Amino acid sequence: MFCVCVDPLQGDFPETIEEFLQHGNMKCIAFNRRGTLLAAGCANGSCVIWDFETRGLAREFRDKDCTAPITSVSWSKYGHRLLASATDKSLTLWNVVTGEKIARITLQQTPLHARLHPGSSIPSVCLACPLSSAPILVDLNTGSTIVLPVSASDSGNVPLPNSRKFSDGSPPFTPTAATFDKNGELIYVGNSKGEILIVDSKGIQVLGLIPIPGGTVVKDIVFSRDGQYLLTNSNDRVIRVYENILPINGSGKEIEKIITSNNNDYESKYEKLKANGARCLVLSCEVSDAIAKVQWKAPCFSGDAEWIVGASASKGEHRLHIWDRAGRLIKILEGPKEALIDLAWHPFDPTIASVSVAGLTYIWAKEHVENWSAFAPDFIELEENEEYVEREDEFDINAYAERVEELMIDQDAEIDVETCEKNSSFSDFEDSADEIIYLPAIPSPDAPDEQPDKCLVSSSKLEDSNHSGSPPSSMDAVQNGLAIPPASSPLEVD
Amino acid sequence: AVVPPTQQTTAPQRRQRGGTLDPFPNYKTPNPFSFWFAAMAAPDADETPASPGYALRATLAGHRRAVSAVKFSPDGRLLASASADKLLRVWSSADLSLVAELEGHEEGVSDLSFSPDGRLLASASDDRTVRIWDLGAGGGARLVKTLAGHTNYAFCVAFSPHGNVLASGSFDETVRVWEVRSGRSLRVLPAHSEPVTAVDFDRDGAMIVSGSYDGLCRIWDAATGHCVKTLIDDESPPVSYSKFSPNGKFVLASTLDSTLRLWNFSAGKFLKTYTGHVNTKYCIPAAFSITNGKYIVSGSEDKCVYMWDLQSRKIVQKLEGHSDTVIAVSCHPKENMIASGALDNDKTVKVWVQKDGDQ
Repeated sequence: MFCVCVDPLQGDFPETIEEFLQHGNMKCIAFNRRGTLLAAGCANGSCVIWDFETRGLAREFRDKDCTAPITSVSWSKYGHRLLASATDKSLTLWNVVTGEKIARITLQQTPLHARLHPGSSIPSVCLACPLSSAPILVDLNTGSTIVLPVSASDSGNVPLPNSRKFSDGSPPFTPTAATFDKNGELIYVGNSKGEILIVDSKGIQVLGLIPIPGGTVVKDIVFSRDGQYLLTNSNDRVIRVYENILPINGSGKEIEKIITSNNNDYESKYEKLKANGARCLVLSCEVSDAIAKVQWKAPCFSGDAEWIVGASASKGEHRLHIWDRAGRLIKILEGPKEALIDLAWHPFDPTIASVSVAGLTYIWAKEHVENWSAFAPDFIELEENEEYVEREDEFDINAYAERVEELMIDQDAEIDVETCEKNSSFSDFEDSADEIIYLPAIPSPDAPDEQPDKCLVSSSKLEDSNHSGSPPSSMDAVQNGLAIPPASSPLEVD
Repeated sequence: AVVPPTQQTTAPQRRQRGGTLDPFPNYKTPNPFSFWFAAMAAPDADETPASPGYALRATLAGHRRAVSAVKFSPDGRLLASASADKLLRVWSSADLSLVAELEGHEEGVSDLSFSPDGRLLASASDDRTVRIWDLGAGGGARLVKTLAGHTNYAFCVAFSPHGNVLASGSFDETVRVWEVRSGRSLRVLPAHSEPVTAVDFDRDGAMIVSGSYDGLCRIWDAATGHCVKTLIDDESPPVSYSKFSPNGKFVLASTLDSTLRLWNFSAGKFLKTYTGHVNTKYCIPAAFSITNGKYIVSGSEDKCVYMWDLQSRKIVQKLEGHSDTVIAVSCHPKENMIASGALDNDKTVKVWVQKDGDQ
């Protein structure tokens, strides 16, 4: 990823299936922000974490209470927490390092998507989108929920007076999608009327409104990794890309400024919200399948937001369409004959992970063309045959002896072997020294016919805190980090 | 009269008269007196750097045959040594007491490497396996994995700084990348056409450098196993050791013509040459010492440990004390401490510290 002498592959897209991951029956996936770990939720209620570099299983989180299929997984910003939503209306929060369950909250309805607040390393709030009602903010410590407004006249937590309500008083039937913006200050809600509402995540007020052309139900609303672009997937089979013109940092403050500066007379609150919204999002392009009018599923951006991928939601199809940001169709990738249920683009590499209904995760990557010049520096690869024209003195006998010595190297020049440059692809990252980029590898013990152990076995190792009586997986759950004795005092030198 | 370098123990302070002015004495044909000429060729050269003043702190005996490798753990608490007697010994670097003796290999061990968190130790052996040992807490060390797959002696091993993979080079001319967790061989790189003598990861774990008797150093992308670069000089003496610099931009390669070269691998050119020691038979690793001044440290077949100033390339100190070829050196990551191991006649690990105290 940080290779100095390799062409950066960012901006490219995958071409073919490289391999697939198989462990249980996976339902949904999410990359951590560095793309080194892939979390997957399974049909048996467990969450697994794959080490994406080795494509091996790193961790498995299981709990006897969590047995319902997982509908979505979400990482906290620096990888310390993993949130899983399940069909038994529950949200489970896992501690990634220790593998312990931190919290389990039961909601009124099954959440289809649940996202941890992206702004903090230990988030206390998450956004959950139930199947067909307003999205809610859930406090992970107390379990209390706040219903978000789903229309301009809604102020949240107050059911609309003349809309359908369920007899048990639960929120009305309004299929909605919602997402945090990059820092979590604002929430973008796509409602069933085809509007994007910008909601303040603290005050839960609708601050702006953008009507989507077509006015149909919004099924998905997704930000790019850098927060610059937003896409919506609507029921009219069109994916629309918006450019976010609010600043990434301080979007909340900026929108407040817009509201106060927009204090002209408007006919209605609706018009005012529209005017605010127009200064937050600008429609950039629309993509759709003009011929087959395919419904889309799980659309998302590439890591650098140069490409958009959408999966065909047609029955039994595993097909990915890739467009560039101008809306031109670039590539169609065909997968195996198993319907696709989830999709994720790697944050940096031109790699896509797609989950099929068979529970396998397919990894799509670029085909590699061997660079023969790397093996032999004098070797030049030619695209096509070239007529060779020899030098005047090529076959002269004394030409060899006269070959000039290579350029003189100044061996006295100072060189720096210590300082490292920050890699530019992470320049928009705030570094956290605490970030979990790799999980410590715990070697799984060899089969017993290997050499007998030499010394005693430390007792607190390989503590299996998460097994629930199901058949032991070959991967142990995380052990508590063995306490290494504190560093001894610095040596005395006389 | 020119005093042969082997009898000097500190850097020469006086210049000698006479001799020819060879502007590029170290360039192609290193000879034992070349560095003297270098001193003469630059009459207004900077004053030779002062000797860092390392002195012997302790000798650790116990191996029953030649020592083949010594390494400090990344946190500096432990020192491990491997030997032809099929054992690995782990010492505490603070009080130099023996912490563990690891038995399990069926033939002599050639190389070892610590995992980045210092909990695991990997060793490569003539029994064609790479073994992973869990060091545990309080000395409860044990073998956890045996990685089989090489078809000839496993000669060198290196953990990735990510801790999830390790690379091993072998006499079967390949480099294998293994997953630590499961022990499976992820990749077999068709690295060279002669035994692979060294493997190393850069600090980001993105690249692997491999050196071989075929005279090449190759750089590989660690994630995909694709070759990125080949470093080759006009004459290609066998490469006996190669490693990345701490910032991953340079490769230090030692060749069996008694030369160490520091390459800028993206340009494919070497920038510095270090000579004066003897290295024509064994694969002797070199190390960067950056805790107090920047030095290159290497063992030598004349029983000394050599230290060069990195920028000026001058020998600043020779540590004497071993009674056989110094086959391994390692620098402590934080303190001014060097460990060295020697062959059969000696069988000890010696620890050297800077006399003037820690910085």
